[in-house]
Amino acid sequence: MFYELNDQQKEFRKRVRDIYEREVSPLVEEYERKETFPVQLFRIFGAEHLLCLRCPKEYGGPGLDKISECISMEELNRICVGIGAGIMVQGGLATDPILHFGSEELKQAYLTPAVRGEKIGAFALTEPDAGSDAAGIRTTAVKHGEGYRINGSKTYITNGTICDFMTVAAYTNPSKRGTGTNLFVVERNDPGFSVAKKLEKLGNHSSDTAELAFDDCDVPRWRMIGEQEGGGLEQLEETLKSGRITYGARSTGVAQAAFEAILSYVKKNQRHGEPLKRSQAIRFVLAELAMSIEVMRYTTYRGAYLFDQGLATMKDASIVKLFCTDSLQKIVQKAMALQKSAGLMMENPVQRYLRDARLFKFTEGTSEIQHLVIARELGL
Amino acid sequence: MDFNLSEEQKDVQKAARDFAQGEFDPDLALELDRNGAFPESIWKKACQLGFIGLHYPEEFGGQGLGFFENLLVVESFCRVESGIGSALSMVDLGSEILLKYGSQEQKKKFLSPLAKGEKRLCTAFAESEDGRDLSSILTVAEKKGDEYFLRGKKPFVLMAPLADAFVTLCRESSDGVSTFLVEREKEEINIHPIEKMGLRMIPYGDLHLKEVSIPLDHRIGKGDDGMIHAYQYFRVNGLRSAAQALGTAQGAFDRAMQHAKQREQFGKKLSQFQVIRHKLADMAVSLEGARWLTYKAALDYDRRMNDPESLLLAQLEVGRCLTCVVDEGIQIFGGYGYIAETAIEHYFRDAWAIGVELGTEEEQKDAIAEGILGSDSSKK
Repeated sequence: MFYELNDQQKEFRKRVRDIYEREVSPLVEEYERKETFPVQLFRIFGAEHLLCLRCPKEYGGPGLDKISECISMEELNRICVGIGAGIMVQGGLATDPILHFGSEELKQAYLTPAVRGEKIGAFALTEPDAGSDAAGIRTTAVKHGEGYRINGSKTYITNGTICDFMTVAAYTNPSKRGTGTNLFVVERNDPGFSVAKKLEKLGNHSSDTAELAFDDCDVPRWRMIGEQEGGGLEQLEETLKSGRITYGARSTGVAQAAFEAILSYVKKNQRHGEPLKRSQAIRFVLAELAMSIEVMRYTTYRGAYLFDQGLATMKDASIVKLFCTDSLQKIVQKAMALQKSAGLMMENPVQRYLRDARLFKFTEGTSEIQHLVIARELGL
Repeated sequence: MDFNLSEEQKDVQKAARDFAQGEFDPDLALELDRNGAFPESIWKKACQLGFIGLHYPEEFGGQGLGFFENLLVVESFCRVESGIGSALSMVDLGSEILLKYGSQEQKKKFLSPLAKGEKRLCTAFAESEDGRDLSSILTVAEKKGDEYFLRGKKPFVLMAPLADAFVTLCRESSDGVSTFLVEREKEEINIHPIEKMGLRMIPYGDLHLKEVSIPLDHRIGKGDDGMIHAYQYFRVNGLRSAAQALGTAQGAFDRAMQHAKQREQFGKKLSQFQVIRHKLADMAVSLEGARWLTYKAALDYDRRMNDPESLLLAQLEVGRCLTCVVDEGIQIFGGYGYIAETAIEHYFRDAWAIGVELGTEEEQKDAIAEGILGSDSSKK
């Protein structure tokens, strides 16, 4: 049974925490305010081998396991969720399908530069009318000359305005709902591709989110991921599974930050002349928050362990995401409520944790979708 | 018992709703929220039509109606637009103290301009970041000749940057605190704007009184009775905040319901999914309960029933309703709920700011428990 991180993983946690505190913490306030992603981090993290952690050494990656990726994501999201979003996409949805299903040529062209932080990746699946219902996408990739011609629009795309390339889902055969799809790599300079607009959001301000347009966007044949037409969405299964476990780590990281903030607030402050820490009710609240974080962290790393062993089912992954993202809401809400008006101030990171955390119940499968997945795998 | 509004009350409610629907332009609301700007012209119009201070006596510019009717206006305004509605509800903070304890001259001088939309009033009581904590008031009022000189600091004063006058608590003698009316004179009152997450149209400021002189007749009451005045303010502010919360929760519900009826995924409207239907059912139940508790509390106040318990119950319940309904509302929107240009994103931020005015759950329960168990019951 897996109970504790081994020495190497503990050492890794210490190393990434140091790097993130040194490189990311000083940028958070500025980039949250500017609502842009600090793109210089891609180069810095590339040099530190902190992008695409599970990418094998032959493509320039550190070849680490899922547990290590969760450690890194927990630590990064403890500091900043928005920045965490851009980095997660780079090592997840943008490059995973290339790693698992892409040709050698695709790997050399996109994966290796992504690992080094020389190219920024994005992933484009969601459309204005197809969110939870991914099979409902309308973007098409029709054979045209030597390649494919892509038409459609995508939305909520992380790294949308800053990416060099994006992995795009489109129907090559729209008559086959769900199965007639393929993934293509589109470059930002491809004619016909444009950023329709950058989106303003409740939270995740330092993450770049955009609506993208593909208008007769021609891509050569070699940029289709996989040999044959069809099966694009199926290529995402493992990546989505992995991503759902990562959401456990992201949630645990934000929860930890919110918990540390509220614990120190309660220790330091008085209300109506009484120290807050003497309130029995508040002691109970903090005890429960501490309990939640323990369980979140354990659930996450158990999921990551199962994933590394090749044993994780989609149900396991969905349970991690659903449990952790839900538990997180209670933690950030309580951290906000206890601080009263002080919590509302933009200079107080607790309001940022609240706004940022709210995204986790929508993205990469809403909580409702996670319920559906779990129920389905129960054989219902 | 009669749970129906009177014809006059229905008219007030309808007039408020019509006004709000006609004037609270969603694009303008977005812009004001983004820029942290007060809806100046809508405020003036609302005053011309008698929506501000309709519970003041006619001689001071009101319509002589009850606070309950004022509550209906606040609820209707916030239902249509949480930000603008709240801004218009918070232009006369402290008026309830004048109404109950002010002299004829004070009422004439300070209340009438509020109803006319010429001036705005706010309260500056607490001296910690917690607006309800009056346990340590250090601001001093010193009588010299025919003037009082005030000195001290009041942080986190809601509306301070926009207010023309402040109702403030100062220590006049060692026996207690007294209430004073301070007219704003820019050179003597330092106001620091503080940026916040929600209710961005209503700014906070730190009030710094540096030997501010005011005439003797600007003290409200007999002196050393400031706590009684503060209690009156908190009671009415509780009602007002409950009405804002109720309207905001109802507005979030309206929006979520409309979205659920329009949005299709998996070939069905969201409103056809059982789980979404049940969410809406839960939200409706929560709203109905919170509404009757709030209405009862306002009616008790108008009937001069000195029973604060109904208000405490209402505040706790409406606070829970607000958090749950807005959170479920935004969840029903899915990813759209996270984007600033949708109709619900700022409801989430505003809800948290309104929730702060209601007080923490722990504070509410302390007060309720004291009411049902007796005021000495927690002592050994």
